[in-house]
Amino acid sequence: MNENKIVELATEQALVLDCGKSLKSFKTAYTTYGKLNDAKDNAILICHALTGDQYVASNHPITKKEGWWSYIVGPEKPIDTNKFFVVCPNVIGGCMGSTGPKEINSETGKVYGTDFPVITIADMVRAQKLLIDYLGIEKIFCVTGGSMGGMLVLEWLSKFPEMVHSAIPIATATNHSAQNIALNELARQSIMADPNWNSGNYYNSDNKPLKGLSVARMAAHISYLSKDALHSKFGRNLQDKSSLDYSFDADFQIESYLRHQGFTFVDRFDANSYLYITRAMDYFDVSSSNDGSLIESFKNTVSKVLCISFTSDWLYPTSENKKIVKVFNTLGINVSFIEIETDGGHDSFLLEEPKLFEAMQGFIKSTYENL
Amino acid sequence: MSLINEKKDFKIIADLIPANSSVIDVGCNDGSLLEFLKEEKDINGRGMEIDQQKVQLCLSKGISVIEGDADLDLYDYPDNLFDYSILTYTLQATKSPKNVLSELVRISSKAIISFPNFGHWKIATSLLIKRKMPISEKLSYSWHETPNLHFCTINDFIDLCEEAGIRIEKQANLKTNRLNKFYGKNLLNSYFNEVGLFLVSKIKN
Repeated sequence: MNENKIVELATEQALVLDCGKSLKSFKTAYTTYGKLNDAKDNAILICHALTGDQYVASNHPITKKEGWWSYIVGPEKPIDTNKFFVVCPNVIGGCMGSTGPKEINSETGKVYGTDFPVITIADMVRAQKLLIDYLGIEKIFCVTGGSMGGMLVLEWLSKFPEMVHSAIPIATATNHSAQNIALNELARQSIMADPNWNSGNYYNSDNKPLKGLSVARMAAHISYLSKDALHSKFGRNLQDKSSLDYSFDADFQIESYLRHQGFTFVDRFDANSYLYITRAMDYFDVSSSNDGSLIESFKNTVSKVLCISFTSDWLYPTSENKKIVKVFNTLGINVSFIEIETDGGHDSFLLEEPKLFEAMQGFIKSTYENL
Repeated sequence: MSLINEKKDFKIIADLIPANSSVIDVGCNDGSLLEFLKEEKDINGRGMEIDQQKVQLCLSKGISVIEGDADLDLYDYPDNLFDYSILTYTLQATKSPKNVLSELVRISSKAIISFPNFGHWKIATSLLIKRKMPISEKLSYSWHETPNLHFCTINDFIDLCEEAGIRIEKQANLKTNRLNKFYGKNLLNSYFNEVGLFLVSKIKN
């Protein structure tokens, strides 16, 4: 029931992208859980983050780890798979089966590489909309996601307001700040500085830009954690040694931890995908098609919305999330907001955070009961 | 809050609000007043609450609620967004009652404000005879642990409204459960009402 599925979309009419190019017959890989009811009013769309994928509540085929949101999605969980029909697609530009740089371009018969068009968050949402149409869903009960997933949620609310009954954007922002862009640029430069990257042509080579991708992941990973959490987890503790080595080995536990994060990441992620998706995030500004007016961008939104932020998230801080709340308030949109106190940093939405569990469960349950 | 005689106060507040109004309850607690008003008057309600556990309760009841602080977060709302704003038993706990009042009448056409009256004879007597800070049903905290920062009497409130350019339209008498036309400041008013409950609006220039 929840195995990975792949569907070809835009087979008749190409998907026109923001960059002006278009994608014809592109693939979307997705998982589903639960059953769509006869009224078709119980669909929940989950939008994954930068390095997430469609394996939201099932074991990952490469890492064998349980789904990235199994704490939230499953029987009797806030996103109750006994009650709801859950859809989680891999975004276009991704590397878990949806059309992206490592897939074959059907027009040339060759791997895209950096010939893949630069995509945007809006393009990802347009692609998701085709999947929702294909699944026969006219109105999604709830669209949710954290971080980049939250950007997709906002884009849904702005571009397809009539299709969204309710939404939960988590730890996100209406656009990428200079600091966000700077961190992504650091990650991209580390990939491109790896000679194995070879301008994106490495798919037929034995040498892949694993080191560059690994460093990109290490840098990003720091931004997902809070200073307090790093301090309490690692402090200045040494790794399997009692004194400093006076070398550049991983003396400190935090170094060893980050290296591990980097090494394991490259097994499941494609370096070019990382470039494309971070670019999409940097380009993101939900108001860009309305001359920068957030009010114009959400003027047709009628959904019930719950915004969630975390106190120790410095990547998409509470202030950014409150901006969304302010716009929605101004428009009289039915918006709720909760700021969860935690030292878990930006990553909190992926952690076992009971207050997140409670807020999502309360909101989803009561909203569905009042449907 | 245990301070509130729910049924009585809720009913009086409901009587002040026409059906289908848009309403924000600032310091909405567990959302029970908003639920009551939804049932009685089919209002379009919003809540603001500083206590996260109560925010969670509101969410589970399907009430749209912002985790926020009356002193800081009312500025985020545009002028006249709501027909009514409600502030029950919260004014005395705000850092700046005057700013909060001004914000309430800015974001809504009319505001309903209630607070424990420090001028009530029982309280005055406690101070006068016992020389101790009063503890009563409506003021249930001892002085060193009270969240209340700015106590006022009904007469003080009337003065503050005047200073802030706010018109008092009605005052509720919670003893008789009646809404009275507001007759102005007088000693008896402040002396015999344990609670001040007022309907106010901004004086337009």
